[in-house]
Amino acid sequence: MNKRKITLISTVILAAVLLTACSSGLSGSSWPGITTNGDTFYVANMAHVYAIRATDGSQVWRFPEKPSRTMYFAAPVLVDNQLIVGDYQKILHSLNPATGSENWTFVANGPWIASPLVIDSSIYAPNGDGNLYALDLSGNLLWKFAAEKALWSRPVGNGDTIYQASMDHSIYALDTATGSVKWSKNLGGAVIYSPTLSDDGMLYVATMARELIALNTDNGEILWQRKFEESLWSQPALHEDTLFFGDLGGKAYGINRLNGEDIWAQTLTDPVTGKPTVTEDSVVFATENGTLAALSFTGERIWTETVTGKLYNGPVQFDDKLLVGVALGESPLVLKTNSGQNIWSFIPPK
Amino acid sequence: MNIWDSLIITPFINVLLFIYNLIGQNFGIAIILFTLLIRLVTHPLMVKQIKGAQGMQDLQKNEKWIKAQEKYKGDKEKLAQEQMALYKELGINPFASCLPTLIQLPIIFGLYQAVIYAMATTPIDLLNLVRHIYPGLLKVETLIPLNNRFLWMDLSQPERLFIPGLEFGIPVMVVIVVLTTYIQGKLIQPPAANPKDQTAAMSGMMNLYMPIFMGYLAYTLASGLALYFVASNLVGIAQYAMLGKVNWANVFPFLKKKDEIVVKGKKINR
Repeated sequence: MNKRKITLISTVILAAVLLTACSSGLSGSSWPGITTNGDTFYVANMAHVYAIRATDGSQVWRFPEKPSRTMYFAAPVLVDNQLIVGDYQKILHSLNPATGSENWTFVANGPWIASPLVIDSSIYAPNGDGNLYALDLSGNLLWKFAAEKALWSRPVGNGDTIYQASMDHSIYALDTATGSVKWSKNLGGAVIYSPTLSDDGMLYVATMARELIALNTDNGEILWQRKFEESLWSQPALHEDTLFFGDLGGKAYGINRLNGEDIWAQTLTDPVTGKPTVTEDSVVFATENGTLAALSFTGERIWTETVTGKLYNGPVQFDDKLLVGVALGESPLVLKTNSGQNIWSFIPPK
Repeated sequence: MNIWDSLIITPFINVLLFIYNLIGQNFGIAIILFTLLIRLVTHPLMVKQIKGAQGMQDLQKNEKWIKAQEKYKGDKEKLAQEQMALYKELGINPFASCLPTLIQLPIIFGLYQAVIYAMATTPIDLLNLVRHIYPGLLKVETLIPLNNRFLWMDLSQPERLFIPGLEFGIPVMVVIVVLTTYIQGKLIQPPAANPKDQTAAMSGMMNLYMPIFMGYLAYTLASGLALYFVASNLVGIAQYAMLGKVNWANVFPFLKKKDEIVVKGKKINR
């Protein structure tokens, strides 16, 4: 090969590396979504869904078995001996939780970013194409509701009504049987994380307009709304009358759910992300830089632990343990004690 | 945020989104206008680059240089000395074409990355985008989500045109990217000064490989980038045309015949 050809090929390879390095939009941009049935943890992370033994963190199966180009953003959901999980390539899969084999698929027009909600025998699956799809447990379409923009957050529901927040700045109350809109409310900003529903019929939702808003589920009336200085990338967690959440400026808050006023605020330094986890005696906040901070319900720090990688959601509680999904780390799943000590880490086999 | 982000990416993202807001939130037109703006800002550098390249081409045709190449065939050191002497004599700066290119490169990559960032298609991408926005210039709450629809395309996804009756989508933008890249390469390719001109041979090969490479990128990456490639190619052609550096005969051979008639001053079959 002469010099000219080598130079030319090198130039093209260099350009390819530079261009594709800047453009691999999906690589490393998801975080592990976790669910469990007690014996097995199911984790959707990057290109696979994994079934992992709770006892020792070993892999039972993974789906798909071979490396694929798709990505998983949404946590799987267990229902009626099915594991429902959507991928970035528009396909919603129903898997056998024991074997990982596929039962059925449902194809939408956009990526599945949020987990579906299952109520009774219906699956309510929000999609990036802006539609909320209601399916039966065999994957047949019952109805669909079209929002104006993508749906990235999981709906919440209380029987005959589900509440779906959208990137189009609105939250919709929908009839679970027909998908018809009972009411809708413009929140003034896109919603990334799910709303939180209280037992007495109040919804709490954080928006990209840096606001936390409380709504009455009966009619969508805004009960209070509060603006924060920093962006909110968090879903509030509810414990009795306190809402726990954090902001990207590194502050964790405990606020009164009835009026939105501060009960306490604690500086954690790193950006607080996702939904904090309420345990028996603490609330565990996750930060983007990999710190888990357990605070008492009154805001005193109990313990702090750090994992290698980034955290975009609070840990999942399992018995007296915490299951931590880690993005961009060595291990996407770490099992910890309630006081933050490592029990095992799962490293996906190649 | 690192220096590259602070100096290049963040300002570019904000300008791109400012344009997007200004024109009524159409991301496709914003990409086209942003590309045009960047190319206009870097136009003086491009002019310098072209002049520098022209100087080097003139050197290839220079009789003294041709003779020196023959004379010092086996003596590279002496040939280099002669070359330097000729540079001085003809007032050529050998770096005149390289330096502007080097300055333009980070701008081009910055523009490309800004488009990628702005088309945030996942929550973490969106989080990164929000962090790049100047709150004093743009309001996140009114900006997000971006309107990624343009013509038949979702600019955040690879483009395919689905026609009723066809089971597969046609990658129209890929075809346009390949064609415009090829045509641009051919149009700006200068005529070879002599048969041994390595630069001309090199650019000839690039004209073959680059369209394929760009087509591959357009096929696999978000169509917003394909739109940027097309806009960039068309603006590039316009810039060269304004400077009178477009060789239409490379694409339209019938024009070549006319040129030959004028140059040679004798009748040739039409």
